[in-house]
Amino acid sequence: MRGYSTVLLERADLGQGTTGRFHGLLHSGGRYVVSDPLSATECAQENAILSRIQAGAIETTGGYFVCCPGDDPAFADKFLAGAAATGVPAREISVGEALRNEPRVNPGITRAIEVQDGTVDGWQLVWGAANSARHYGAEILTYHQVTKIDTANGAVTAVHCTDLKSGEDVVIDTGFVLNCGGPWAGQIAAMAGAHPVDVIPGRGIMVAMNHRLVNRVVNRCIHPADGDILVPVHTVSIIGTTDVKVDDPDHLTIEPNEVQQMLDAGEVLVPGFRQSRALHAWAGARPLIKDNRVAAADTRHMSRGMAVIDHTERDGLDGMLTIGGGKLTTYRLMAEHIVDAMCDKLGETRACRTAEEDIPVTGAGKNYVVTHRLEEREHDRFEDQIICECELMSRGMFTRALAEQPSGSFDDLRRQLRLGMGPCQGGFCSMRATGIALSSGHIDIERATALLRLFLKNRWLGLWPILYGDQVRQTALDNWIFQGTLDVEHLPPADPSVRPEPEVEKKAPVAASAQAGVES
Amino acid sequence: MRTIVIGAGLAGLVAANRLAAGGAQVTLLSKGIGGLQLGQGTIDVLGYTPERVTNPIRSVQALTGTHPYARIGAERVLAGLAYLKELLPDLLVGDPEANYQLPTAVGAIRPTCLAQPSMVAGNLSSGERVVIVGLRQLKDFHPQLVAANLVRTDLPGGGRAKVRHVLVDFPVREEVDSSALTYARALDDAATRERFARAVIAHLETDEIVGLPAVLGVRDPQAWRHVAEKLGHPVFEIPLPPPSVPGIRLNEALTAKAKAAGVRFVQGTRTVSFRASGGKVDAVTIAVEPAGREFTADAFVLAAGGFESGALDMDSHGTVRETLFGLPLEGADAVPLLHGDYWGGEQPLFNVGVAVGKDLKPLDASGAPVYANLWAAGGIIAGSAGWAEKSGDGIAVASAIGAADSILKELA
Amino acid sequence: MTEVNDRPATHDRTGLGFAGHELSRASLDACVKCTICETMCPVSAVTPLFTGPKFVGPQAERFRNGESVDHSLDYCSSCGTCTLVCPQGVQIAELNSQARAVMKADHMPLRDRLIGQTTLMGKVMTPVAPLARWALGNKAIRTVMEATVKVHRDAPMPPAQSQSFESWFAKRPKPTKVPTRGALVFFHGCAGGYFEVETSKKTVEVLEHLGYEVLVPRQGCCGLAQQSNGLFDGATASVLKLCDDLRSSGKDLTIISSSGSCTGMLKHEAHEIMGVSDERLKDVGTRIRDTMEFLLDLYDAGELPTDFLPMPMTVPYHAPCQLKSQGIGKPALEVLRLIPELTVVDSEKVCCGIAGTYGLKKEKYDIAQAVGRPLFDMVKATNPELALCDTETCRWQIEQSSGVKTVHPIWMVHAAYGLG
Repeated sequence: MRGYSTVLLERADLGQGTTGRFHGLLHSGGRYVVSDPLSATECAQENAILSRIQAGAIETTGGYFVCCPGDDPAFADKFLAGAAATGVPAREISVGEALRNEPRVNPGITRAIEVQDGTVDGWQLVWGAANSARHYGAEILTYHQVTKIDTANGAVTAVHCTDLKSGEDVVIDTGFVLNCGGPWAGQIAAMAGAHPVDVIPGRGIMVAMNHRLVNRVVNRCIHPADGDILVPVHTVSIIGTTDVKVDDPDHLTIEPNEVQQMLDAGEVLVPGFRQSRALHAWAGARPLIKDNRVAAADTRHMSRGMAVIDHTERDGLDGMLTIGGGKLTTYRLMAEHIVDAMCDKLGETRACRTAEEDIPVTGAGKNYVVTHRLEEREHDRFEDQIICECELMSRGMFTRALAEQPSGSFDDLRRQLRLGMGPCQGGFCSMRATGIALSSGHIDIERATALLRLFLKNRWLGLWPILYGDQVRQTALDNWIFQGTLDVEHLPPADPSVRPEPEVEKKAPVAASAQAGVES
Repeated sequence: MRTIVIGAGLAGLVAANRLAAGGAQVTLLSKGIGGLQLGQGTIDVLGYTPERVTNPIRSVQALTGTHPYARIGAERVLAGLAYLKELLPDLLVGDPEANYQLPTAVGAIRPTCLAQPSMVAGNLSSGERVVIVGLRQLKDFHPQLVAANLVRTDLPGGGRAKVRHVLVDFPVREEVDSSALTYARALDDAATRERFARAVIAHLETDEIVGLPAVLGVRDPQAWRHVAEKLGHPVFEIPLPPPSVPGIRLNEALTAKAKAAGVRFVQGTRTVSFRASGGKVDAVTIAVEPAGREFTADAFVLAAGGFESGALDMDSHGTVRETLFGLPLEGADAVPLLHGDYWGGEQPLFNVGVAVGKDLKPLDASGAPVYANLWAAGGIIAGSAGWAEKSGDGIAVASAIGAADSILKELA
Repeated sequence: MTEVNDRPATHDRTGLGFAGHELSRASLDACVKCTICETMCPVSAVTPLFTGPKFVGPQAERFRNGESVDHSLDYCSSCGTCTLVCPQGVQIAELNSQARAVMKADHMPLRDRLIGQTTLMGKVMTPVAPLARWALGNKAIRTVMEATVKVHRDAPMPPAQSQSFESWFAKRPKPTKVPTRGALVFFHGCAGGYFEVETSKKTVEVLEHLGYEVLVPRQGCCGLAQQSNGLFDGATASVLKLCDDLRSSGKDLTIISSSGSCTGMLKHEAHEIMGVSDERLKDVGTRIRDTMEFLLDLYDAGELPTDFLPMPMTVPYHAPCQLKSQGIGKPALEVLRLIPELTVVDSEKVCCGIAGTYGLKKEKYDIAQAVGRPLFDMVKATNPELALCDTETCRWQIEQSSGVKTVHPIWMVHAAYGLG
């Protein structure tokens, strides 16, 4: 947008690092009014901006902060004072009103405050931004893994990467690298020969429950803790999260004790939570950068956690900046900061317009509402088959997405469409998708079969850690269909000479470290 | 002699039929209408060990240890298969010593023992020419997927078939999205079948076997023959995911047999509790509103299924239970019960179930029957999930025969 | 600090406030998309206008929030078959009923308000019965009704009678037989009170023949017709008033009814669809029995005299949806099979199509007829003179569309005991 020739490199699909693995929350700022006032103000401002410019990716659900039984009701007063001081819109409402609007919330709550939390589809968000960049001439290269950064005379000259889908090596000549690698930022910086950047990934798990137990974000009105937020995103409600320091962002486990912790936390907000159906779980790593060698001349007012590392000062390396920390809600602001910093380095003045311009540029449209697919299918079901019935994805939606990403895996498509993200977790739609993709002509039978196998494998990674109750029954039925009726295990074996799909979904190891609930 | 069968799946229906034939008064209690219409509509005995099985009864005889077949015995498998063929001669054909090897809706080839006559031409031989015909309005069947995988598969008997595919436009209602059952109901009508045959025949070449999705009629067992006759080609049906028309045919036929034999069906409510005294079950209660309703009997058969029906449950703490009688479970202490490798070995959870004795009574840890008048059949039995090795139907039928015959003998 | 004493009391969560939330919504988690409900739905079998119970219930519910957008859900007839056949316990029909109530809340058609007032209809029609009958049978008048109130011109209408049941009961000569088995309360329902008076009379006479004293308190409407049209507040008020009426005759007495659907309303529907959890409802729901259920229970206990006269005939029997959903099997079949030489053939059909008031409506009439066609054909083919069915609106539908006189099974028992 500012006129630079730009290439975005991402080693997986967009958002598969941390962004797509987050809670789905567009912060009102309420969470930080007491603990981090600067963050609170930034969130409130960015919330308003994003809700406007990326309306389609954002549902303006609103939110509540509630004092649960056992919580100190006086904290709510601190909350309200903090909100007033930081400019975060907040209004106390009666408990009766809160419970009438959200009948599943704990009837024992003592106070309730209404805020402007929203919820976000992380992939719609990043793809929106990426497509806007494309509109301005940027190239978006997913599945391109950076392998080396060339430098000469203390400046960056080129970036080497591998196209994981084709195996080809690509070299991009460049004068500036913006390292937005999140938890992997340290690895990227090291490729340029920078001193180790101290990245401490903070792993957190999220559990999606099968339906919207609440239609607003419901937060516990306490100092930020684990599992104190329940977020309705599309058709599910997501409880999270935990915060455990880990070493390797490529190996994030979903620990059984943390799952139990999330279920217990959910039970406080919504009694009967454990009897609800857990649908899917995932882990993401917060990109916390601890670095005591930050840029000295930092004229931008940055909140705690959001930091731009200037490698010139620190490493004698020109042409690279690294950013870390922050929250998804303030992503636009972070981008503004790092590009401003780059402009400074280049001695240029090019203003940021991202807060003003809609995504897409033709108009952001209305905010997302959960009923919209139901309404769409009501109108088009006589013309278009419904392929993923759980998430009301039509055949046309699938074929269009496939045409845009002919080399996409079913998970790449899933992130755009929500294919397989409903209660049956691909039980009925996987085979349909495979058949349609094959007959589209974009892929051959070898690839179609491989994609089906990979899709089923990847769904399971997020299922087995939270499998209980109703979801066990679903898995039994899905197995009955896939193994019983279809015998997918005895499809023709993969041709070893054909390059397999990059398996970047495989983050968690496949054995449990401990089995929940089984006393030895 | 009054008996109660809990569950309307394959095991429950076979047990109910067998008990009624033996002169017992039978009441069948079930929450739904049974799970047969979710399956492929054939009777698996044993498909993989994990090698592909060609002679299922021989492979069953070779099983030992805690496998359900080892406990139930091959004789009961044979008795069960014979009984089914006697009950449903128009619907099930096959030989305990020779599996059919039939195409699936993704183009794999799957062993099964008794199949519906409309399917058996799909048992392909090397060099056979096949055309897979799909219907544009039927989203659960993708002929190109089936054909492209079949054509590159080495047939169990050796060699390969020559398989091509065709997609035919054949709406049966004013919609683009018709279920398999909608098609099957339409094809119960002879005029519609004629129209169908005309639509398909234009795409056929000489000497081809025609593979179709399993939609050739649901009420009329001869509908498929009429289609084959009109096409002038041999025809075979390929089962689909639910709603499975062959499964529905099987369910309706077995249910009708049971009703005709005088079995009283009380369906729609889950059986939730029981009363016992002196080591015997006295009664079970179904959860009708508002206060439940009790049924007493001399003998009870628990044929309520496995995890898919909720007869077995694992709660959010990881505790596995049999949800009606609280029977002790075998395999529930396996650690871990679940692992994350989808294409790896079986998930131990799905092998959890009730241990049974030779008479099919559930046993406790010491090997004694838990209740003197309680029997078990089908998916509730420990030791096999059935889907992977393709044994669930055979286990259901054999254990149902075993339980029913044991009851008739004991309480005669 | 805000006052904390305005939280809604739990009993406030009834009527329309209940619709779309809590119990039924929570049950959607049990859905594993097995499609069994879809395969048994009688409406989606005959028209693609209705997307089917799985779609409209547990699937669409995940997408609902506030304003309704899927208006095709109105094609659901609320027959209840889906909930009955679901192996997992999803309350599909209840979800659909609630979603419909929400959808219609703001623009409830006048017709649906009128159709719900069954007692009122009866009270109004009885004094002018012959005229009412004529008017409802008159084509010109029916055409006007269809255009204005959207009730189809051919839809079966309740037959007005000259004397209400309560009036007959009060004015008849006192029965001479001394009761030996204690007292029972008889709940006649609107149809049994004003339209199908003969059925109520025969039920009372059979019970008295068995040695019971039958008490008939003044009683109102169970509210079923209001509920199935989404008028939850009115229906809740009606059903609780009825509970008071029925309880007035005495505690712990068994309540008998020959109105199958009204029995279902009291046993479970008012609770499951509208969330009514009042103690009075629970009390009545626990004590009420369908007439044939009651007779079968007596038989199972060895207390039913089986000295029936032989009835050499073959007659079709249809088990109504709202009887099947009570989870009691088909007791009428079993009782009738005790009558010598009588062959009763179970229709084995899912639904007659009327679904209470669904089949009366202009835009639903053809669908309802298509739903019931297999049943009408079976009935005509089995016995063109007589058919049996436990619920009144189903009887009217079957009779209207097949031309076969259709009566409650108690008529056969009454005749077989020689009481006719």
